[in-house]
Amino acid sequence: MSFISKIRETLICLKAGRVTLPYPYQPRPAPEKFRGRPIFDASKCIGCAGCANNCPAREILVLDICQEIRILKYLGRRCTYCGRCADVCPENAITMSKDYETATNNIADIQQKLELFMSTCQRCGRCFKEPSPLEQLKLKGYRFDDLANERWIFKSKSYLDNFKVSDDIHIELD
Amino acid sequence: MNEGEIIKYLRNRFGNKIRRTDICRDRRFYINVDSDCLKDVCKVIFRDLDARFITSIGVDERQYNGGFLVAHNFAFDSWKLLCSLQTNVDGDSPSVQSITDIVPASNWAEREFRDLLGIEPVGHIYPKRLVLPDGWPDGVYPLRKDFPYDSVPEGFDENRSFKFDDAPPGCVVVPFGPFHPTLDEPAHFRLYVEGEMVRGCEYRGFMAHRGIEKLGESVLTYNEIPMAAERICGICGCVHNVAYAQAVENAVGIMPPPRSEYIRTIMLELERLHSHLLWVGLACHISGFDTLFMHCFRIREPVMWIAEKISGNRKTYALCLIGGVRWDITEELNQELREVIGKLETSWREVVKAVEKDSNLQKRTRGVGIADKKLVKESALLGPVARAAGVPIDSRRDHPYAAYNRVEFDVVVSDFCDVWGRLIVRMYEVFESIKIIRQCLQKIEPGSIQATITDEIPVGRFGMSSVEAPRGECHHFVITGENNRPRRWRVRAPTYQNLQGVPTMIKDQQLADMTLALASIDPCFSCTDRLETVDIKTGKVRVYSAKELETLFLWR
Repeated sequence: MSFISKIRETLICLKAGRVTLPYPYQPRPAPEKFRGRPIFDASKCIGCAGCANNCPAREILVLDICQEIRILKYLGRRCTYCGRCADVCPENAITMSKDYETATNNIADIQQKLELFMSTCQRCGRCFKEPSPLEQLKLKGYRFDDLANERWIFKSKSYLDNFKVSDDIHIELD
Repeated sequence: MNEGEIIKYLRNRFGNKIRRTDICRDRRFYINVDSDCLKDVCKVIFRDLDARFITSIGVDERQYNGGFLVAHNFAFDSWKLLCSLQTNVDGDSPSVQSITDIVPASNWAEREFRDLLGIEPVGHIYPKRLVLPDGWPDGVYPLRKDFPYDSVPEGFDENRSFKFDDAPPGCVVVPFGPFHPTLDEPAHFRLYVEGEMVRGCEYRGFMAHRGIEKLGESVLTYNEIPMAAERICGICGCVHNVAYAQAVENAVGIMPPPRSEYIRTIMLELERLHSHLLWVGLACHISGFDTLFMHCFRIREPVMWIAEKISGNRKTYALCLIGGVRWDITEELNQELREVIGKLETSWREVVKAVEKDSNLQKRTRGVGIADKKLVKESALLGPVARAAGVPIDSRRDHPYAAYNRVEFDVVVSDFCDVWGRLIVRMYEVFESIKIIRQCLQKIEPGSIQATITDEIPVGRFGMSSVEAPRGECHHFVITGENNRPRRWRVRAPTYQNLQGVPTMIKDQQLADMTLALASIDPCFSCTDRLETVDIKTGKVRVYSAKELETLFLWR
């Protein structure tokens, strides 16, 4: 019986033809919904830090330099391209691009840093409108993420000091 | 029997040693017993009531009630019930009766909570360190709540080495792994070989324990964990994603809308399709039949493309949030998916016709890696391994979730008990998956894909969820907690149980069959922690530690 099986298997090979694609010379176009590298639009961003609070990989850091200037930095290292930042952004300032060939020997090619003018906003985080209570901001007020060491700081040093929720992990700057 | 009858039966046997019982929605129930009768209750449940062991869980509850909680989860497959048998343990010197002499399948799970939480299983049949690295100091338990998630313990001893058991007399030791051409991920088997025959082995794994449960309990929030859970496995990620979301929904009674349940079912079945096609390809590759390996991958590729069109990625679908899904299947995608699975069915039928009579392949796989009914019961083996031994367990039918109670399908069973049986089961399950997807596409209801959640998730509720992964049942257990994250999240992947059956499956078999027998459970390990280099000039071997590697390849 094995002989007939082998003939059948040969027929499958003949019928299939050539299927290998000529990548990388002609990359297959990415589908419409494709989730590639996220792109941040500084002109639309209002600095609510909703993306930073809902990033599963903790890839987005927020640092308040002074009353008016907030820095938002996308690290691009262990980003899983899940697209949650784009989901929760109230201003649609984040788009998931079709860019997937992101291998580089200079990480700055991928990183993005936004310097945002915050007007006289008190940065309470209330301008972030959460889709459900599961996405609500746990860190409110001023944010002091460690840009030099690329580390999320869980403690908020704001006027909301007695707000216990943000105090669950004790890492402090200096 | 139903939940009430089982509880009544246990109450008659044990009286008020059964402290508390809870019957919850979706045919799940919880029993809390005195710790001194835990073993006896387990014996009744496992032997007299013929339950299937799922996993054991340890929970640090000292900040709430001063003690620990130990839970043994069981499934009554024929009665469609899931049960969690729990007992409270003293907080200062936690110890609990080991159930390994009654339920051998609990071997790893008990060692795991001993390593990670310091709850001593008294009377364990093989109390060796399992999860923690060799140099980890004694008395430091990383999953306890007072241990910060990013802490490095004092006194980590780089030089402490692993102590292997002695080989039986007359046997030669043959190391298999951690790096082996047929293993994609690191695991070490120390095989005891007599001539060409394997007489036994010692397993050493957990070389890449990533601490994902700790991360979920201390850093991430409810809606971030699904994306992290998806990274548990590279092939059946969506299963973990859905299982976690369902466990939380089960705990707090969130009802996902029907449309989202159909979408979950479709994506899970797409995942099973590509996983089974991949496995059949790999099994052929390992047995030296590379032609079919190529064709399995050719047939598989359109499944990846359609998944990419629906979700935005070939493999990591990032599908679920608590209470729904993120991607809708539009009318256009519905049509396209029908075409894809139609083509897949024709080409797969050709392959099955050719392979099922292929005597060369049969000769290579028949009688290899025997797992019979007894082993399935004792080691709690799952999925295609159990079904190939004639045990018809399938979570999709036994513990229906998502839309599986609204579709018709058969559970494929075979009686060969060997690798050939597993090949047959997987090949025919592809057709069942196609059948399920067709019915879902036809029955899918219009409406919302995400439930509205208006309140925060209440604290201290238990939730269980079993999802049939391509490799077997995947079980998630959740206790909800404060700060928008679970207090405890336990994941039991199917390979966790199936791997424990491998030493028996390869016993008294040819050494050359080891690779095929191991591959037949479709194992799923993870990344590595050490690297060995050999200086070519001097031939000197040097083992680098993680710290040295960090300085060598400075990634910051």
